[in-house]
Amino acid sequence: MLKNYLKIAFKVLLRRKFFTFISLFGISFTLVVLMVAVAFFDHTFGQHAPETKQDRTLGVYFLEMKTPDRDGTWNGSAGYGFLDCHVRTLPNVEKVALFSEHEIIHSYPNGEKVPLYLKYTDGEFWNVLEFNFLEGAAYTKDDDLNRNLVAVINEATKKKFFGDQPAVGKFIEMGGRNFRVTGVVANVPFLRITPFSDVWVPIGTAKNDNFRQELMGSFMALVLARSPQDFQAIKDEFQVRLAQVEFPDPKEWNLMTGNVETFFESVSREVIPSQNRQARPKLLIALLVIAALLFMLLPTINLININISRIMERASEIGVRKAFGASSWTLVGQFVVENILLTLVGGAIGFVISVFVLHLISQSNLFPYATFTMNYRIFLGGLALAIVFGLLSGVYPAWKMSRLHPVDALKGATR
Amino acid sequence: MFKHICKLVWNRKRVNFLIILEIFISFLVMFSVIVLTVYYADNYRQPLGFDYQNVWYLQVEAIEKSGTAEKQDRPQQIEKFKRVMAAVREFGEVEAVAGAQYLPYMNGNWSSCNDVNGKPVCYWANAVTDDYRDVMRINIVRGRWFGKEDDGANYKPLIINRQLAKERFGNEDPIGKALNQLDKQDSLPEGKRARVEERVVGMVDDFRKNGEFAELKGYAIYRNSLREADDRLPRVLGVRVHPGVTAAFEEKLLKRLQNEASDWSFTIKPLTQMREEMHQQSIVPLTAFAVVAGFLMLMVGLGLIGVLWQSVTQRTKEIGLRRAKGATKQRIYRQILGELLVITTCGALIGTLVVVQFPLLDFLGFATPKVYAYAIVISLLLIYALTAVCGLYPSWLATKVHPAEALHYE
Repeated sequence: MLKNYLKIAFKVLLRRKFFTFISLFGISFTLVVLMVAVAFFDHTFGQHAPETKQDRTLGVYFLEMKTPDRDGTWNGSAGYGFLDCHVRTLPNVEKVALFSEHEIIHSYPNGEKVPLYLKYTDGEFWNVLEFNFLEGAAYTKDDDLNRNLVAVINEATKKKFFGDQPAVGKFIEMGGRNFRVTGVVANVPFLRITPFSDVWVPIGTAKNDNFRQELMGSFMALVLARSPQDFQAIKDEFQVRLAQVEFPDPKEWNLMTGNVETFFESVSREVIPSQNRQARPKLLIALLVIAALLFMLLPTINLININISRIMERASEIGVRKAFGASSWTLVGQFVVENILLTLVGGAIGFVISVFVLHLISQSNLFPYATFTMNYRIFLGGLALAIVFGLLSGVYPAWKMSRLHPVDALKGATR
Repeated sequence: MFKHICKLVWNRKRVNFLIILEIFISFLVMFSVIVLTVYYADNYRQPLGFDYQNVWYLQVEAIEKSGTAEKQDRPQQIEKFKRVMAAVREFGEVEAVAGAQYLPYMNGNWSSCNDVNGKPVCYWANAVTDDYRDVMRINIVRGRWFGKEDDGANYKPLIINRQLAKERFGNEDPIGKALNQLDKQDSLPEGKRARVEERVVGMVDDFRKNGEFAELKGYAIYRNSLREADDRLPRVLGVRVHPGVTAAFEEKLLKRLQNEASDWSFTIKPLTQMREEMHQQSIVPLTAFAVVAGFLMLMVGLGLIGVLWQSVTQRTKEIGLRRAKGATKQRIYRQILGELLVITTCGALIGTLVVVQFPLLDFLGFATPKVYAYAIVISLLLIYALTAVCGLYPSWLATKVHPAEALHYE
């Protein structure tokens, strides 16, 4: 039966090529946009190297400090002092890593100006995240404590400074000081905010020590739990510790609020404004799905319009089938299957175009080191989208068609 | 004629309803792209208030943001900062140098609000040293720039832009007036009371820190005399270099500064580069949005051609009959396009009605009524153009219907 449906569907598609082209254009364009969006999402939030342990990682990304009258708020990244004192010592966790926001620094090899992203990290950073080392190895906790001028650089930076020569053991100049390269890692995309940088150096190499006392500043922490089941206990303990913070001048600031949370929770807090700044990751996902459905609205109506027009063409076929006893349901089934077939063909075309578009975006350098690639998650997402799209746009015309009266249909009804 | 066309449209209401829905949504999509474009274009025409060519941004990371140690060694920090500025000024390549909290095209803002008649007037602020006017080439349209007479004065001098003057003082001359309201200070709790009058000494046409695409917003420039102990240390230096100075000078300058203050960090960037980066933040999302919307419109257009084509084929009987009864090709043509016009008007009308609600609901609050009106008119023109183009081929096809074909049926 299904085989017959498919045969008929193909014949119909080939009959009026202009209509088939319009339908396929709409479907594939819609799916390209959605697949690119899914690829973006996956690129930013998916579990990729170096964040291979993302499923059991929490972070302190954002804190707030308030004045006694609660009118003044300082929000931003945590200070090193706070993280060192209250987060590093969290019990029942596997590891804690501290790292700074990335900053831009300029280096002048051979008199040429090279801007570099620089991130200060501790030794544990390299154990919590699993970077792909192409050469050498990471610096250690001891390098951090001894304030050794060492650095890990990414592949692109290595190319700029040393060409194809091995880089380990060589020096790069930054801010008037020479750092010895201990390792080279594969490029990390800009949108992976936690690991991203061009150059990573120990926190101990910062130019002064003022930051070591700060409650608010420019640092973040990663907390690697033993398993996701421990998340709640860690979060509770973090709240207890926030309440215990000692303020140097309680008249100026005397309250800190914030969370230890997954990266996606943190983003949902930033994106969705709410009264008490709750993290609502599920709501964010729901909003994204709604946005996708809204975007699909126009293409769906467009396809419905075309489908209705085309079905009238087949009035006599429907009339014959009805006259010989096919039920409305059978006909609805047939046309929905046809429509899903059409969207799958459109989806396949869209998939090929998406690969091309993603390649273009990666090449455009809008997002440094972005490598938007197709993977099975995006493929499955695209497939699901195509089927949803096919159902949405196929059901109404099929239902309308199935209600045609056989006599009218045989005559070639117009309305 | 018009009434008759409306009747024809009504007779095919099921099919036409979906087309109207499609046009309505297309109108919304088109409007949202166009309102943003018009908004940016309108902003672009406004005066910028400064000259960014040949200015370098020199970030000075001196002391950390918090910590109690900061207050005690303030005087030394200020002395050091003055030495750094003097070191920059010594170079022959440098025309002027000034300290500031923010330079144009920098991310981040210092915003402040004052209550005026119960309504908060909010503006962005900056605190600069006296040479800032020469670095950014600011043009004072009324009053004066900061000067020696402000030293030790019992007020805090400041320069505001025309927008802030309008919001705060209406049509009155702002010069010599206080920006903060000292008479109402008594009602405020201790600690929030400003003790010093903030007196407006000059006005500029505009100063749009975020550049050409940014909205019109009140802006206030305070004076940083690098003297009083409660002044914050500038975070950046603006360095105006002579035309033709290349990036090679950056390295020389950095080396010199690193010697002067080895525990501070410095970063240099030309303002032109920061301008590009800031523009990208506005243009890239708009471009992506516009490309997607463009493809959507193409898809809608093609779909419309298909639907109209099909409906013309279906209505062979009707059209043939009209031809047989003596209707000219012109009249058939007008009928099909007329029907389309009625359908488009329905969709566009609903769209306009919905869009007009947005400002009432305070949605899309950034657009001024003028921008809004322009955007609606342009969207209407475009949607009519789109449907008219889509209707050309099917209505031409309709004129080709031969009376004899109609008589084949029945």
